[in-house]
Amino acid sequence: MKGLQQLRIVGGAVHDPTNGIDGEVRDVCIENGRVVAALPDGAPTLDAGGMIVMAGGVDIHSHLASSSCNHARRLLPEEHAAEPAPAPLLEDGAPARSGTGGTVPSTFTTGYRYAGLGYTTVFDAAVAPIMARHSHAELEDTPCVDGGFFALMGNDEYLLRLIASGERGRSRDYAAWLLGATGAYAIKIVNPGGIEAWKSGQRNLNSLDETLTTHGVTPRAILETLADAANQLGLPHPVHIHCNNLGMPGNVAVTLASMRALAGRRAHFTHAQFHAYGGPGWSSGAVPLMEYVNSHPELSIDVGQVMFGPAATITADGPVEYLLHKSSGRKWVNIDIELETGCGIVPILYRDKAAVSALQWAIGLELFLLSADPWRVVLSTDHPNGGSFLSYPALIQLLMDRTVRGERLKQINPKLLAGSALADGLTREYTLNEIAIITRAGPARLLGLQQKGHLGPGADADVTVYSRDPDIARMFATPRYVIKAGTLVVEEGQLRRAPAGRRLHVRPGYDDALLPGLQKHFQAYSTVAFDNYPVRGIRDEPIPL
Amino acid sequence: MTDDRVEQVTCLGCGCGCDDIAVTVREGRIVDTSPPCPLGRAWFGDGSVPWQVLRGGQPVAVEEALTEAAEMLVRSRGRVLVYVGVDLSSQAQRSAIALADLLHATVDTATSETAAAGLLAGQRRGRATATLGEIRNRADVLLFWGVDPVLRYPRFHSRYAPEPPGVGIPEGRAGRFVIAVNIGADRAPPGADATITLEASEEIGALSLMRAALRDSRPAELPPPFKQAADLLPRLTGARYAVLVHDAEPTAEPRNPLRVEGLIALAQALNGPTRAALCSLRAGGNRPGAESVLTWQTGYPMAVDYSRGYPRYEPGLRGLNRLETGGFSAALVVGSPDFSAGTTSALARIDTIAIGPRATQASFNPRLAIDTGVAGIHDGGTGYRMDEVPLSLRPPLRGQRSTVEALGGLVKGIRLLGQPA
Repeated sequence: MKGLQQLRIVGGAVHDPTNGIDGEVRDVCIENGRVVAALPDGAPTLDAGGMIVMAGGVDIHSHLASSSCNHARRLLPEEHAAEPAPAPLLEDGAPARSGTGGTVPSTFTTGYRYAGLGYTTVFDAAVAPIMARHSHAELEDTPCVDGGFFALMGNDEYLLRLIASGERGRSRDYAAWLLGATGAYAIKIVNPGGIEAWKSGQRNLNSLDETLTTHGVTPRAILETLADAANQLGLPHPVHIHCNNLGMPGNVAVTLASMRALAGRRAHFTHAQFHAYGGPGWSSGAVPLMEYVNSHPELSIDVGQVMFGPAATITADGPVEYLLHKSSGRKWVNIDIELETGCGIVPILYRDKAAVSALQWAIGLELFLLSADPWRVVLSTDHPNGGSFLSYPALIQLLMDRTVRGERLKQINPKLLAGSALADGLTREYTLNEIAIITRAGPARLLGLQQKGHLGPGADADVTVYSRDPDIARMFATPRYVIKAGTLVVEEGQLRRAPAGRRLHVRPGYDDALLPGLQKHFQAYSTVAFDNYPVRGIRDEPIPL
Repeated sequence: MTDDRVEQVTCLGCGCGCDDIAVTVREGRIVDTSPPCPLGRAWFGDGSVPWQVLRGGQPVAVEEALTEAAEMLVRSRGRVLVYVGVDLSSQAQRSAIALADLLHATVDTATSETAAAGLLAGQRRGRATATLGEIRNRADVLLFWGVDPVLRYPRFHSRYAPEPPGVGIPEGRAGRFVIAVNIGADRAPPGADATITLEASEEIGALSLMRAALRDSRPAELPPPFKQAADLLPRLTGARYAVLVHDAEPTAEPRNPLRVEGLIALAQALNGPTRAALCSLRAGGNRPGAESVLTWQTGYPMAVDYSRGYPRYEPGLRGLNRLETGGFSAALVVGSPDFSAGTTSALARIDTIAIGPRATQASFNPRLAIDTGVAGIHDGGTGYRMDEVPLSLRPPLRGQRSTVEALGGLVKGIRLLGQPA
């Protein structure tokens, strides 16, 4: 099975919602790393009789390859020591790598584990531009998955200056330059203006129209500017937004205000669960949030589900991590990153007997279960913030099996669940096709990855084959076969090969008139020379725009 | 005779990571570096390094040396020490650690004997820090705790703080309040706006009292040095952005390991009333690079033992210190570390391979030695600044063999021998 040029996957029930295929038994043909319509008779076959065939999973929002992740790894030696990960035995004698697990595993182990779950494309959702070189290096050491990252821009000094002077067009040019210079895939906003507020002593911004005093700019202006930039540049993925007030009671108000501020514009709101709290005390804000999302087709979200157990919060949102540190007493990292953003890390334990954790768990499920359009509501745990990506199978089971969900609900602290739609009884069960949408077809479409998330001719040959199992969690945790760009990576449930993945990035054009002012800014305030700033020599060509 | 001038070269002479160096090259030799900095000039020198491959002191073809090195290391699998030096790009460090994994080796780096106390304290507590540009652009109060950067980090003052103007500090030095704390023989900068002097024995108590003052629980009566220390608190809490600067590298003066823990705790606690960061000065070469690569590949920043087939963290059992007792039968030294006499003589008793800049001049007379280029002088790639910002290296000279190439050849040789059982 080594070095397959051709492969016919025979007899599986195919779930390929992009192409309107819902469990039909049919062959999937692969040639030279791509899905093709047909193969000649006699092509090698893989028997998937009785099994379920989907495209490889696509993770739209994870934290796996960044300087912040690495600071989190360093902070948690006790977790690594408890979970050694010897090198897998690969079939072709390739030097497999050992590593360690925990909530933030080492890079090779991360790649192997994603592949082991049937995920073949992953994005790191938050990279400080000045640290981009580091992310590319970590991705080089994260095999089996195609990957990229989003560049943090919502608190960038130069951008804030441009917005303050009303230079929206120049802001777009700057965003384009930053994406190209860092080899990023999309524009990310974290707590617009709030990180600069944290760094400059204002501490935070709590509403969409509170002014960042250092710059005279509001979160609203930042959101509008970068949403427009992404759309006008024709980026494959719209602006990816982590709203203000993450984790605060009552924050659904600012989340809804942010969505309204961008009405009519394409935008993705990330880890919505952390932004869907009613107020003034703790309660669920899932219903109004999903009413808005359901009726606005230009918006999408990923959920950021909380799963009970240990997690590590890693975010550019410095002020929220400080508060978490103060309230939990756990160890805390804060790194202010020059002219661009911040970084905060606090380990956390989500306990089912803790009222707030239980509420968070319930809200995440409500977002999924109240969704009218699975194409715009993506599965994520904001790994490792709400839980590890390894908990995706257990989450899928909660969505597909209301009995399991109901039993779990009985075990959790009910104190804050009054008025929760979940507690009132949501009977919906996701179908396999809906799972295929929220774990691959949907995120691929939202990311603008036309060759991912489906199995039509021309698609990348990233395929996952599951053995049917009445235990849904076990079924999704242990795929029988995983194929990455035509290479059989997981065979009979075992990792057998670990090919390098592709870098997914964009390089939009911009008006050169941007450069003199930007160079002047670098000269005045940056500690890295303008010519040394861009990352060069990225292995793969940018995605054409 | 025309000179070549290479601009914006990154210097790894100390941890400042200045990337604005103009290097003048004449006939393959570096003849000038600007701006002039004593550490930078010492780092670059004239750029000449040996380009030899030696076996038992005699020249040998590189392919032959790599084949023999592979055989030697595979024979000793599970009993190999891999030392990863600092004059290497992160790409070379990455290859060296890949080899260690393949060989079930024990990894040691410069960190174990230098900045380990700070890393361990950071693993217990976390830390509040900032990149150097953030310090330059924001710090309005700077406290130098037992260090004057001018001695070992010559351009820290002019590039980062307190001298240059920044976004929030348009006046430069005049816009910053500088506090010097002398501790025993560890002197802080002269010319500070406030200076206090502590005996080494008073240091930890003073740090504790500063934290007590922050919690409004300082005792009413204090002896003079402690009172002075506690009295610094309003300056720090009154800052918009306070930065504590200390030297994470050892000095001749013995140091209480609780210093760094106390500073971490103080910097974190100051983030209640204001914003604050701890700046840890790091020495030259790509030290944070080795820590960073080790962390992403293993989860641990130093002292990793792969002998059981997966990374184990042994910060209390330094590889080099176990040469006598650790059962090692071979050592692969990557880079050109300056080993102690004890280490040198212990290495003489086992198979040794040196790959790196000036490998053939290593004090321990390696059985096999392959010279390669110095990171940032002949080798490109990435080097990490003391604040862990990854910098692009722009080598002004062309080398004959990069460390990554040599290590790649070794990996290939090991693979040709097949995966040992």
